[in-house]
Amino acid sequence: MKVNHREINPDKRIAMIAAMELKGYRSCFVGIGIPSDTACLAKDTIEPNINLIYESGAIGAMPKTKSYSTGSPSIAHGSDMITDSFSVFSDLQAGRIDVGLLSAAQIDIFGNLNSTVIGGYQNPKVRMVGSGGAHDIACLIPNLIILMPHDPRRFVEKVDFITSPGSGAAFDKLRVKYQLGKGPSILITDKAKFVMSPSGWNLDSILDDFTFEEAVEGIPWKLSVNNKRIKIDQDILSKVHSISGL
Amino acid sequence: MIEKLSNLHDAIKNNVSSDDLIFIGGFGHLIPFYLAHELIRQNINNLSICRSGADILFDQLIASGIIKKVIFGYIGNPTVGLSHSFNRAYKSKTIEIEEWTNQSIIMRLHAARMGIDFIPSKILQIGNLPENIQFIKKIISPYTGQEYTAIPSLKPDVSLIHAQQADKYGNVQMWGIDGDTVEGALASDRIIVSVERIIDNIEIKDSPEKTIIPSHRVTNIVELPWGAYPSYVSGFYSRDDQHYISYDSVSRNESELERYLSEWVINVDNIELYMEKIGKENRLSLEKGLCGALDES
Repeated sequence: MKVNHREINPDKRIAMIAAMELKGYRSCFVGIGIPSDTACLAKDTIEPNINLIYESGAIGAMPKTKSYSTGSPSIAHGSDMITDSFSVFSDLQAGRIDVGLLSAAQIDIFGNLNSTVIGGYQNPKVRMVGSGGAHDIACLIPNLIILMPHDPRRFVEKVDFITSPGSGAAFDKLRVKYQLGKGPSILITDKAKFVMSPSGWNLDSILDDFTFEEAVEGIPWKLSVNNKRIKIDQDILSKVHSISGL
Repeated sequence: MIEKLSNLHDAIKNNVSSDDLIFIGGFGHLIPFYLAHELIRQNINNLSICRSGADILFDQLIASGIIKKVIFGYIGNPTVGLSHSFNRAYKSKTIEIEEWTNQSIIMRLHAARMGIDFIPSKILQIGNLPENIQFIKKIISPYTGQEYTAIPSLKPDVSLIHAQQADKYGNVQMWGIDGDTVEGALASDRIIVSVERIIDNIEIKDSPEKTIIPSHRVTNIVELPWGAYPSYVSGFYSRDDQHYISYDSVSRNESELERYLSEWVINVDNIELYMEKIGKENRLSLEKGLCGALDES
């Protein structure tokens, strides 16, 4: 059956493109919202062996209804294990969790993420929620995938505040020195997939029914033309409509 | 055995003073709303409050003007939006803040729980967060030379937490999501616990593995059924997501928020009134909700 991807809502498009990237992983550190829904979708389709881990301490959760907090009833209910936050963060620091999914208000060309302030730290225009576990995941997780709705305001030359550090010349050597994860390697928007290179994000591939111009619209980074297509798994396409939160 | 049962007024009055550092429990689950509201009703001010992920209870305490300083990893209304009272206080510089991450706050509490000054960690070495925590220092491993952040301990004077049940001696039983609740409680000098119900010590002994804080560490137990509303208590009632959603619009506007605080905090000065305010129908529907007492899913 021919699907018009434009008819799928943007958050679900992110979840289905990102779910494709979770193949082969066994454990995934997730937050509430699109990250959690992405991991659920992957587990329900192409990667049934992946374990979802929430910072609240819930492991093996598979929420059936919308969750507002990482400690919500829908996360607790049906988990395989509930431990404490100290334990899951310890596993994270020890390198025992394979992959993490993060989002934020702003992202720059090296995958630095901002969830702290818009404007200056002391006198911000908008004061946001802060790191939560995002800084910790961005520093420690061996493999990091970033999920961002394609809203041009979110894509900037330089983030106002680096809550969750990315990669590039500023951090690559320090990441090795401090025994941290390698930083973000994949960025998924609702139209495209980007991969990290020494000079920042490159456009890797575009979702069917969208053009190159649409995939890079409003993004201030220098991106080369690329018309490679993302091939979404049929099972993911058929199940994306049933995921709980989006 | 010493009996720890107390009424709410005395438990707070006798154990919390101005200028105290308070850990507030609850990670989405078991947030001690009614217990912490007593700080507002007694107008105990100049308080510092801490935890990893803080939600609308922190917003309410800040809005009430009794908070001097917030030590946090996250502060907001999860999924719904920002903490508007925190934002106003931050922008008008009427509160001090110490901004960490969830993991570092938990490590700070863990260090205090262990009775040591700091814990070495790999986090907070890159990005803009470390430069805004002025007293953060580094430590070199004496074994390998590896450079770590020395995450300093954080020892609260008192912790306020909510749990399912306890006996009159203060053996506290909790299950479901813990987050950093037990960590923060055991890091604190004094521990005040509100519970859904008081049970006999013989029931505690039937399942001692559910006991997460032993009697000798607990300062006071207060029986406050529905005391964690609008958060939830596994085995009792589900989370009132709608309350959190409507709090977003209420808390955007200072005069609306003032009205909310009179209705939900100041004027409900006993737990029966709080239960009435929640409403019989809503309580039944939350008992039938996910993780509630009557949940059949």
